[in-house]
Amino acid sequence: MTIASEHNSRPETHAAQLGRGALGALSVVEFGEGTAAAYTAKLLADFGADVVKVERPQGDPTRRRGPFPDGKPDPDASGLFMYLNANKRGVVLDVEAGEGAEALDRLLKSVDIFVTDVAPNVLRAAGCDPEALRRRHPRLIVATLSPFGRGGPWSDWRGDELIAYAASGMAYGTPGIPDAAEDLDGEPPLHPSCFASETIAGASAAVAVMTAVTGRRHTGEGCHLDLSFQAASAAVQIRDLMPASYGSAVYNRLLNPTSIGRMPNFYLSCQDGYVTIAAPMDIHWNRLAEAMGNPEWARSADFATEPARARNWIELRERLATWAMGCTRAQLQSIGERYGLMMFPFHSIRQMAESDHARDRASLVDFSVGNRPAQMPGAPFKMAATPWSLRRPAPRFSPEDDAGIAPIGEVA
Amino acid sequence: MSTSPKPLPLEGIRVLDFGQFVAIPFCTLWLGQLGAEIISIESSSRLTARGAPPFEEGQEGNRNASGYFNSLYATKKSLTLDLATQEGKRIVHELVAVCDVVVENFATGVIEKLGFGYDVLARINPGIVMISNGAFGRTGPMKDGRGLHSTVNLFSGVADVTGYVDSGPRIMGSVLPDPLSGIYAAFAILAALEHRTHTGLGQYVDVAMYEAMLTLIPEAVIDLTMNGVEPRRVGNRDRQKAPHGIYPAAGEDRWLALSIADDQSWQAFCNVVGRTDLASDARFANAPARLKNVEALDAEVASCTSAHDLYEMVVQLQTAGVMAGPVLRSDELLDNPQLDARGMVVSIDHPVANRHRHLGLPWTMDSLGTRSTRAPLLGEHSREIIIGLLGRTEAEYEQMERDRILTWLPLRAGTPPGPPAAFRNRRGLHGLSIHHHGTGRARHRNGDVE
Repeated sequence: MTIASEHNSRPETHAAQLGRGALGALSVVEFGEGTAAAYTAKLLADFGADVVKVERPQGDPTRRRGPFPDGKPDPDASGLFMYLNANKRGVVLDVEAGEGAEALDRLLKSVDIFVTDVAPNVLRAAGCDPEALRRRHPRLIVATLSPFGRGGPWSDWRGDELIAYAASGMAYGTPGIPDAAEDLDGEPPLHPSCFASETIAGASAAVAVMTAVTGRRHTGEGCHLDLSFQAASAAVQIRDLMPASYGSAVYNRLLNPTSIGRMPNFYLSCQDGYVTIAAPMDIHWNRLAEAMGNPEWARSADFATEPARARNWIELRERLATWAMGCTRAQLQSIGERYGLMMFPFHSIRQMAESDHARDRASLVDFSVGNRPAQMPGAPFKMAATPWSLRRPAPRFSPEDDAGIAPIGEVA
Repeated sequence: MSTSPKPLPLEGIRVLDFGQFVAIPFCTLWLGQLGAEIISIESSSRLTARGAPPFEEGQEGNRNASGYFNSLYATKKSLTLDLATQEGKRIVHELVAVCDVVVENFATGVIEKLGFGYDVLARINPGIVMISNGAFGRTGPMKDGRGLHSTVNLFSGVADVTGYVDSGPRIMGSVLPDPLSGIYAAFAILAALEHRTHTGLGQYVDVAMYEAMLTLIPEAVIDLTMNGVEPRRVGNRDRQKAPHGIYPAAGEDRWLALSIADDQSWQAFCNVVGRTDLASDARFANAPARLKNVEALDAEVASCTSAHDLYEMVVQLQTAGVMAGPVLRSDELLDNPQLDARGMVVSIDHPVANRHRHLGLPWTMDSLGTRSTRAPLLGEHSREIIIGLLGRTEAEYEQMERDRILTWLPLRAGTPPGPPAAFRNRRGLHGLSIHHHGTGRARHRNGDVE
């Protein structure tokens, strides 16, 4: 069986392609092992592209990560894998062997885009160095993702989500404004328990890929896009970089008011949770004082003006913390609404998922993990004319296929 | 300042930009660097960025010298326009006819009240792609809610997986919801334009910042909805790797990121830090044992790393094949040798603000180019756009100037330059701006066209 001919033997009408979504005319091969490249291809697939995911015989490591139904490992019931790879077709190829490499190359001959985050030595063994691919398939758009990127003194460094997040400046900045570390030693730079850096990299690479699709109309040729997790997470820190570029105050983990603007803008505990309170200008401060029942101190010389509040921000934080501890989340949110103040409570994932707002917008969508119903994040934006849809579940894993090649389209 | 000789991929795409704060300006900054023509509409009431710090010393309040503006508005064009006037609205409608994309992140309902809702714009130009971006999106019971990045962090659930071991939720750094939703807006624009090339039709896209943040936490969302398992905050630990964390290095506030999944890397780590006793410690002999004894493990690792210079240790660990890296401060990124070697650190000359360094796009391209030209002076391109692009006459242009339609109206005397936009109360700003122009909300009916 030759995959490429199978791919070509099912010509679709233009209408059928566009029926899948905005990107229905695009075809993609993804060779991803983790979140970053899989997420790039997910965005393309979710909006209609025909994506074939290539896995090595040992399978994408994400199949071993879960979360699994009741925590029982099953390569066909990893929640993260099912989320990242829905709407894709799948094939297992031993790309480091001759036959698998040839099959991969036949696939690449007929598609627009190749996205990968596997290690360069594996790509090389598969005959898929970006330079070689560009020579063999001049119209192919090749996107390579890695922790530090190709080229440069750190390009051979080993890395992952955590290492890239740390080297991008994001870890140092977390907890972030209006929160802050309370103790430089006891509260180290913090990484959230999720694939933040890889997801940002994957989303950025999706922009890069669509840029190259657009650019190909000018040049008639493909492009090698090379993106690093470090760079993608550094790019989103544009606001934090400005003081460094302009030689003014440097961001300080202990909430240095000279680097963060006007006060109060705090993250505080309240009776039953946490809340942000921002009242940066006099007009807001006056409203907040009113909301607090006009305590004497709020109108005192120490706190009445913006400069005074900035000067006395530590004391201000304590006073506000004491007040907030006397209120519940709901009370504070309602006060915020009543007084036109920016006060918002922390929502747990459960509270967010069960909120009327998230339900009304279908922010989470139903899918199955194994045979278990679950919900996953839906599309990050809503296209009115070409909406997101779940067309097929993620490909199953078929390592027992003796040819090492699972038929494409095996999953209905 | 540079424009590479390679073709710019988005050359020929024209974007009408009502963006403010960070989200949409970040989106159009990327599109502009890739060659799209970005026409930024500026009016005093919407002018949040030009007053925001940082400024070079002595230039505080100079509206052409804001580091905030000059970073976020590089490559763009500036058209000053009083949107409250009929002629100002007519100019916008004429621009929509010759643009491909319109982007906005006002509060819900404001763009319709201005007379620029999607229904109106699509009648002028059926191919137009319109993006709205907001904290909670344009539909749903909370659609009118305003949100700073912290609000979005707290609502999205991302704060639920961010925090030290068994302690309270914390907020991620770097106003992430803004640029992340900006990245998704850029992708949505390019996807909608791809669709347009096949159908000729544009469309409306609704970007909610909290939904952008939700894409960071699929594991936690799935575990909760599938197994009923609430997230437990675990600091920097991972459920499969140990040690996995951020540990002190020698010196004040210097930190090492370390991620070890396999036993070979653990042995290599112990050798590099000179602790062969740990290498043979049964509590840490294999990955399951290290995960089981993670408290003791983290304490031992921290005691090792705190004795070593950060960069020397990183290089030795990497040489030994261990995943390790420095925790960088944001101010260190501009001097980072890796980002610099990849061409991401760009210097931009500015006639008022002088030369400053910025971070460019996070990817390289072999056959396509990018540009990093400076941000515009206030109203720098008004004449070029009104006469050159829209074909108005010189006489009409001068009349518009006399009628103060193209004139940036200074803020009321005594109003100080604002704080960074991310800290502003958006409700207050919008209330102020609409009042300032004397355009009561009731005067703008949804879908109002002249």
